[in-house]
Amino acid sequence: MGIYRYTIRRLLQAIPVMLGVITITFFLANAIPGDPVQILLGPSPSQSEIAAIRARYGLNQPLWQRYINYVLGVLQGDLGRSIFYGERVTAKIAERMGPTLLLMSSSYAFAILTAIPLGVISAKRRNKPTDHASRLVSLVGVSTPSFWIGLMFILVFSFHLQVLPSTNLVMPWANPTEIRSAATRLDVLVMSARHLVMPMVSLGTLQMAALTRIERSSMLEVLSEEYVQLARAYGVTESTILRKHAFRNAQLPIITILGLQLTSLIGGAVLIETVFQINGMGKLIVNSIFRQDYPLIMGTTIVFGVVFVVGVIVTDLSYAYIDPRVTYDEVD
Amino acid sequence: MATTGSTSDEVLDTDEGVGEADSEIESRVGWRYTLGQVKGDPTALAGLVVICFMSGLAAFATLDAVVFDYLSEYAVFAQFGMRKYWIAETFWISPVKEPLGARRLLPPAPLDNAYGQGTWDHPLGTDDRGRDILVRLVYGSRIAISVGAIATVVGMVGGTVVGAVAGYYGGWVDDVLMRAVETLYAIPFFILVLSFIAVFGRNLAFVMVGVGIASIPTFSRLIRSEVVSVREEDYIEAAEAAGVRDRNIIARHVIPNSFAPVLVQGTLQIGTAILIVAGLSFLGFGVQPPTPSWGQMLSKSRGVMIENVWFSIWPGLCILVTVVAFNMFGDGLRDALDPRLKN
Repeated sequence: MGIYRYTIRRLLQAIPVMLGVITITFFLANAIPGDPVQILLGPSPSQSEIAAIRARYGLNQPLWQRYINYVLGVLQGDLGRSIFYGERVTAKIAERMGPTLLLMSSSYAFAILTAIPLGVISAKRRNKPTDHASRLVSLVGVSTPSFWIGLMFILVFSFHLQVLPSTNLVMPWANPTEIRSAATRLDVLVMSARHLVMPMVSLGTLQMAALTRIERSSMLEVLSEEYVQLARAYGVTESTILRKHAFRNAQLPIITILGLQLTSLIGGAVLIETVFQINGMGKLIVNSIFRQDYPLIMGTTIVFGVVFVVGVIVTDLSYAYIDPRVTYDEVD
Repeated sequence: MATTGSTSDEVLDTDEGVGEADSEIESRVGWRYTLGQVKGDPTALAGLVVICFMSGLAAFATLDAVVFDYLSEYAVFAQFGMRKYWIAETFWISPVKEPLGARRLLPPAPLDNAYGQGTWDHPLGTDDRGRDILVRLVYGSRIAISVGAIATVVGMVGGTVVGAVAGYYGGWVDDVLMRAVETLYAIPFFILVLSFIAVFGRNLAFVMVGVGIASIPTFSRLIRSEVVSVREEDYIEAAEAAGVRDRNIIARHVIPNSFAPVLVQGTLQIGTAILIVAGLSFLGFGVQPPTPSWGQMLSKSRGVMIENVWFSIWPGLCILVTVVAFNMFGDGLRDALDPRLKN
């Protein structure tokens, strides 16, 4: 099976999953007790006001009718209107998507760039002090709450040393004229990087630690393979073996894990956005739960679901692309 | 039909008896071996010690905060003055009430800050309302340990049943169940728990069940992959040939022989669940004040971090130490159950 057919098949398989996500989210959100209209209109709205709002958001229809309408809407890219903001949910999410994606991708980059060298060194110097140190780092890393790391960073770098800002994340693509104390594009980039360091590291630490563990055990496994032993017997130097023979083959499990780790990355983003007051999708969903803004809760959850499903498909595809031994039939 | 029915019943009974004895011997030997391995692993042992210590604290806190509260409804116990936080208030200090003449935001005993000199009455300092931090940490362990453990058991039981059934039957049952699990997995863990809490309220029981349900996919996928290979074993075929009912095969043969990785994952999952519950409390979705929990203490400390650093350090350290312990023990357990993985 060619890569195109495989891609199409994976996308088709994602359809029932996404339909399931929409269904679960819809019924969960509609089971939330309390009346969002009441929250929106305050303590004593008139009957006609309530009726008007209900009609506007289609809340006067029976549940199954609303479900069918909602699914049809989602299929056309319409996630409804936010009750609290009155805006289209898609517009609100598009507005908040940037910071979250920036945060998530930079954390992943940080995690990959630190975990791979740590894991490789750990495997190379197995049971030496370097290995113990790296294992300790990854053990503590997987066990520390990300939001606490964030709090400690703010304490040390913002309050104590006063070298890094703790709030007001600047987007790297922001217009320099709209940002105070930034004259050129470079200023904006520098500001953005300074703002991003702490959230990035606090969110990425868990991923870094998890990846380090996998990288280490994967390297060790590859290093004990017969072809590596053969290379050693031929007198190939250890560093060449590491670079040319072992490294690439050891990266396969990492790719799989990257896709699956997305779920914990998203959860972490919700917390980190709260700690550093970043106006992203994580804060959006927390606030919409407090405000019982059903359309927004559903919309954000579905978009997170899409991000995850697409992420997993992309990792599956790249897996098959990187490892020629994997045919598309086997990857499922 | 009636006669064949009775014979197959006989066969079924004997087979069950044999199967039981067999798996019992096997698992007993297995357990003894596993425990021996863990004993020889200092890291795992250290983890176990910390887990036991924290569980002890949590058990004590549960007795004082929940059991006494429940029993105090009955006149027999109420006449002794039994009430919520009875032990704490009689012998120590209340974990929820502000003491009279409370001194806010004191540092740990030997240190001093803008709010005064720390005292040995409050060895770890006081919080934003002048309550003792140490006593709140001790009572906060109850939430972390109990929610972590119960949520994991919910996920483990649910995931094991789903995964074993899917793996054993295969075919459309497998397809339907695994697609359902995949769907559940496609909603990010934290978001799923958040929506669960939004629906059912911030009641602690629902937080546990929510975290448990959200972890079903992890367990069911794990056990399914084991079951698929166990299913092909001769003893399963023998049991099937002897006419043992499917649910008995699954419960007595398939699950016990596929359970080791689930147990390891379960230990690690308790750590994850503790982190998640702390995160939920931090956002204000967990246990509600004044009941102390580590996550909620961290959330409170955010506003007064400059005034009293220690208030935000202690709860984080407690979470860290507890989760590290579960991870160390879980890793040790994995090495003991599957020495091939030991690197």
